[in-house]
Amino acid sequence: MVTKKVDLRSDTVTKPTEAMRAAMAIAEVDDDVLNFDPTARRLETEMAMITGKEAALFVPSGTMGNLISVLVHCDVRGSEVILGHDSHIAVYENGGISTIGGVHPRTVTNNKDGTMDIESIEAAIRNKNFEICYPTTRLICLENSHANSGGRCLSVEYTDMVGVLARNYGLKLHIDGARLFNASTALGVPVHRLVQAADSVSVCLSKGLGAPIGSVIVGSKSFIAKAKILRKTLGGGMRQSGVLCAAALVALQENVQKIEGDHKKARTLAEGLNNIKGLKVDLDAVETNIVFFDILEEANITAQKLCNILEEHDILLMQDKPKRLRIVLHHQISASDVQFTLSCIQKAVNGVSHGNGLA
Amino acid sequence: MVTRWIDLRSDTVTKPTEAMRTAMAKAEVDDDVLTFDPTGLRLEEEMIRITGKEAALFVPSGTMGNLISVLTHCDVRGSEVILGHNSHIHIYENGGISTIGGVHPRTVINNKDGTMDINLIEAAIRDPAFEICYPTTKLICLENSHCNAGGRCISVEYIDKVGELAKKHGLKLHIDGARIFNASTALGVPVDRLVQAADSVSICLSKGLGAPVGSMIVGSKSFIAKAKILRKTLGGGMRQIGVLCAAALVALQDNVGKLEDDHKKAKTLAEGLDSINGLRVDVASVETNIVYLDILESSNMTAPKLCKALERHGILVMEDKPYRVRLVLHHQISTTDVHFTLSCIQQAVDAASDQNAASP
Repeated sequence: MVTKKVDLRSDTVTKPTEAMRAAMAIAEVDDDVLNFDPTARRLETEMAMITGKEAALFVPSGTMGNLISVLVHCDVRGSEVILGHDSHIAVYENGGISTIGGVHPRTVTNNKDGTMDIESIEAAIRNKNFEICYPTTRLICLENSHANSGGRCLSVEYTDMVGVLARNYGLKLHIDGARLFNASTALGVPVHRLVQAADSVSVCLSKGLGAPIGSVIVGSKSFIAKAKILRKTLGGGMRQSGVLCAAALVALQENVQKIEGDHKKARTLAEGLNNIKGLKVDLDAVETNIVFFDILEEANITAQKLCNILEEHDILLMQDKPKRLRIVLHHQISASDVQFTLSCIQKAVNGVSHGNGLA
Repeated sequence: MVTRWIDLRSDTVTKPTEAMRTAMAKAEVDDDVLTFDPTGLRLEEEMIRITGKEAALFVPSGTMGNLISVLTHCDVRGSEVILGHNSHIHIYENGGISTIGGVHPRTVINNKDGTMDINLIEAAIRDPAFEICYPTTKLICLENSHCNAGGRCISVEYIDKVGELAKKHGLKLHIDGARIFNASTALGVPVDRLVQAADSVSICLSKGLGAPVGSMIVGSKSFIAKAKILRKTLGGGMRQIGVLCAAALVALQDNVGKLEDDHKKAKTLAEGLDSINGLRVDVASVETNIVYLDILESSNMTAPKLCKALERHGILVMEDKPYRVRLVLHHQISTTDVHFTLSCIQQAVDAASDQNAASP
């Protein structure tokens, strides 16, 4: 018997829908390296339009999207990029911008809401007078929504301010927009307005939008032209990529509007968890589809133990720290999955407390 | 009206078959980064079986396959790799092993047959006594079949000899086996025997085998474990890869057996072209599915002109030099296509020579 898993580890687990599978099967394709793949082109045109940028490029992953963007903006040896200490690029991308790209990172403390103080960013920009011993700052990176802060959204006002700062200093601005559609939905700001100040954006299609594979980088024509060559150099030049882009087009068509539902489920889950004795959720931080929750001392259970118990019920969570877990909602999680998860967690947490020999 | 193109520019143009599309549509998938994709795993197991190596890894392209392999073998800064001056890695991969990987290339002349003289390879190995000013040689790369040599095959005896040389000097051996199945078919040597001496191999699924996307790297468990991390770092960590691996599995099942025909068609084409006045093909060097065509002075024809003339008939070929054209056969080119191509080329050359004759 095939059991359905309630997979809350990430929105990357989303499997292609029937519509996507059908689209992949009939996709019009061609060699995207020798020529151009017509379906890839349709996707790239669509993404350029949605984001208000001149051009777009399909890549196998968000990691490659960010790697290419940073390396293209920082193509001169001796470059430095300013980014959050808790950003996905700085923490979860194998340090590739340095180990692969030779770019030096300068981290600035991320606030709890995913922003970095503007003055701190400015202070991190290298003074050219000291170029004899300084790398040259070329780029600032933001992340929207911000993963490690719990999927929090950077406002368009803040993004614009950072853009102004960048321009004042002749720097570029890149947005890691892996979950940009989540931010746009939560903020009620159209995607193109949200990223207006950015020179480039990397947007994931394989997360909440549900496509099986891929991200899209957007930017100016000249930026994308360079990005295309670097994509080939890194090994991301795929041939009949239309089979993947077809699914991505379906994702854009069908799943953007489901994101609001994911946010509602996240809210329901967060409130439910916060009501469980022994657990705590910072409800203010739940703005999109990610929920971090802490296990308090009194609960007498570890994150690992909780994960194990839930796994027995076919619910998969991600352990973040010894007493902290992360849950990510997506369109393949139903409202009843949410309720089931809450009740299993309740039992697991309260069950262990009772077993502690309370009078 | 949709005209069907006869696309002879490369075997990378192969489009997914109905069987592949069906397999892709119903592929069992999962997040290959967080966990493992089951169809991806099946493909890896199949490639392990075919190549006789311990482990395998799916990557988006042959370029990434080679890049990862070179960088994994040469993971210490200051490394050097020996490879052919006319190898695909050296010519067509954006110099990525250096610009991205910091590895220094040391080229050795490729002979017309794709090999490098063993004594020249040995001479290129850096003497550790001079390490104060030398990089450290870590790796030798071969290419089989050899693309720029016209798809020529490196024999198993030669590979074994290079393997011995590598081992003697404590070096690794990587084979760019983009078209290894073509080589195996042409030589009549099973793939696993052919690559036995290699520490790693990169094999394309999207060329003659016809899958839409992807290559596989094979090697030892520890090599592949490192390769997997580097794949993620480069941005090749894809999620539900089963949709692509399903097509690749069909490719392995259905299309390896068709390679022999591709070679026969290439031979037919080569012989036909060589017998056209004004054209020349080194027919003896046509061992697999690639044909290089030289246009002689006397023909009053150029490569760009020939390409244009053929395009008008719906035939696409690749200009290699001003007087040199490359044609690559694959399973989506029929025998009729081959004959049609021959007759169109004959026509074009005749027209050019008529012009020549006509001018005073």
